[in-house]
Amino acid sequence: MLRTLSLLAPALAPSWRFFDEIAPSPRVEYTLLPTGDAAPTQWREFRPRPDRLSLRAMIRRLFWNPHWNEGLFLVSCSERLIDGKVDFSRREIMDRVVAEVRSIANPPEHLPYVRFRLTFLYRQNQTVEKHVLYVSDAENWREGAAQ
Amino acid sequence: MTLDLALRVSEIMLALAFILQGLEHIGARGRERTLYLTRTGLAAILLTGFLSPLICLMLWINALLLLHRFQGPYNGGSDRMGLLILTCITAANVAPTERLQEYAFGYLAMQLALSYIVSGWVKIVNPAWRSGQALQDVFLYSAYPVSGEVRALAARPALLLIAAWAVMLLELLFPLALATQATLAVALVATGLFHLSNAVLFGLNRFFWIWLAAYPSIIWLQQRLFAG
Repeated sequence: MLRTLSLLAPALAPSWRFFDEIAPSPRVEYTLLPTGDAAPTQWREFRPRPDRLSLRAMIRRLFWNPHWNEGLFLVSCSERLIDGKVDFSRREIMDRVVAEVRSIANPPEHLPYVRFRLTFLYRQNQTVEKHVLYVSDAENWREGAAQ
Repeated sequence: MTLDLALRVSEIMLALAFILQGLEHIGARGRERTLYLTRTGLAAILLTGFLSPLICLMLWINALLLLHRFQGPYNGGSDRMGLLILTCITAANVAPTERLQEYAFGYLAMQLALSYIVSGWVKIVNPAWRSGQALQDVFLYSAYPVSGEVRALAARPALLLIAAWAVMLLELLFPLALATQATLAVALVATGLFHLSNAVLFGLNRFFWIWLAAYPSIIWLQQRLFAG
């Protein structure tokens, strides 16, 4: 009951403090590995944004934007994970990364393990700095449940 | 606009927004898919107006289950606004007297106005927003710009300074628009375009549809308070 109220209260009396400050911004990156304890060498951004979007695509996204909204949910999960809500957030992010790897046309069967990491971007004077704040354990993307 | 009409228009717009949201989860699995498919079905019934109070209550329970599933809102502010609208509409639907209906729907209108005023206030007291730096940072490194082309707008500080002040003034001056029906209409078109630009530039399409669903409440409240 208390948990429900704590989730409900911010919706019934919102703070409306949109963008009051521009906080460090998370990115999810992942790497594929031959074994669970192999050292990662190359990280890829999870669903990198395109260089440009056509007007048609922008209009379509007004009505149908599931990948982008899932990405916004992962931004929220990343922030929650760093704030200490580790288990739920780690599972949600890993499930989506695994689903992404499985959706690749020719998934690399020789690299059965996946890790993700969270990097946070922020401005330091006139440059954008990038810091790695979390690296997950490896999981076998061919096993277990995913979205 | 009468209370009944405003409520009904809000219900329809909320139902359409929920249907769009729900369909985006059709590829999900497990409880996420079940909850969103249920929401989509209930929202479709709400569109027809059949047993609206009961359907609103069921949608409200569904919203609580979604909050539990994601341990908070799936899409931050837009989901919170959706739940706020749903709560106010549900309360207005089940309220035993017209006065209580007005309080419930009026609360939504007040929160809509606050969503602009507070949002404008927290920006204007921040020197980074007044200098344009904050909006530049949104484009430069936040997760929101939808493409590299949009992110490149970070390199246009003069344009972003004007945009930052336009946003702050639009939000802060919003309550003045309640003076007349004409000024409110102009303000709602401007804020609607603001949400549309956020949808186009930052992919915040859910904000666009959900905020529009709250507009009938403030149109009704303005007439209730100020119309002769």
